[in-house]
Amino acid sequence: MIIVTGASRGLGQAIAERLIEKGEDVIGLARSVSGISIHAIECDVSDYTSVKNASREIKRMKKPVKAFINAAGVASMNMAVTTDESTVQRLIQTNLVGTIYCCQLFAPIMLRQKHGSFINFSTIAVALSLKGESVYAASKAGVESFSRTFAREMADFNVRVNCIAPGPIRTDLLRGITDTQIEKITSQQVIPKQFQKSDVCDLVELLLDEKAASLSGQVLNLGGV
Amino acid sequence: MNINQAKEIVISAINDALEGKAEISEQMQLIGGQPLLDSLKLVEVCLALEDLADEHGFEFDWTSEAAMSKSRSMFRSVVALAEEFASQSEAK
Repeated sequence: MIIVTGASRGLGQAIAERLIEKGEDVIGLARSVSGISIHAIECDVSDYTSVKNASREIKRMKKPVKAFINAAGVASMNMAVTTDESTVQRLIQTNLVGTIYCCQLFAPIMLRQKHGSFINFSTIAVALSLKGESVYAASKAGVESFSRTFAREMADFNVRVNCIAPGPIRTDLLRGITDTQIEKITSQQVIPKQFQKSDVCDLVELLLDEKAASLSGQVLNLGGV
Repeated sequence: MNINQAKEIVISAINDALEGKAEISEQMQLIGGQPLLDSLKLVEVCLALEDLADEHGFEFDWTSEAAMSKSRSMFRSVVALAEEFASQSEAK
């Protein structure tokens, strides 16, 4: 089975739906599971006990876990000087600490299998040092750094760890961002266009494919940097 | 579970991971210095202990702040790991 966090909306939901379409057995993790059409477990990734409980529940299922996709995340587009303390905490706790909790608490399942793949989510804002995204980018830079090192720790167990770093994708995270602002960002990519959720899903499929068995510790920037 | 039972379980798990290729004593270091186990084998031992704890009706938590500390770590010696295993079984 494949586990997807943030499965109630945005990229997580799109990825979960795509994988189900492809015949995968998907379990979603979300803070609230009401209204989710797929098999889902309530889990707040920013809360260690909540992630631990979810990992216990998955372990009890005694099914092989093919992949764990850390798609849960929050965004806030602000300059550092105008970002309030609670937003800083929320960004770091959900994006970085949440990814770490999920990786460390679900890793033993894959270590036991000696097979598996983690896909974590960063942002192109890290590589492009985008103005107005300092705290968000810092939380995701942490995810990239963690993923590169975690990939080395998992390699002996045939477990791969990679990151996908999308540019601005139309999801709830981009509420209030104008088309002009988006164009300003996408114009800095190698391929200067706005990509869609489906493009991210394609990359997820690519990383899950056995043909990507040689890829670990990598960050795939959508559109290129 | 008493300490002797825990020692037996831990030594047996280490033996399995090392495929019986080393003589194991209670004071042998598991991390630091000249460790008995490399990181891969250490994880294998922890996974085995997780299973054995499950059989004994408790959950073995091998993630702790002190896990890799030479002075406080449960992995500082075979007997320290057995003590931690026994203590977690009592706390269930």
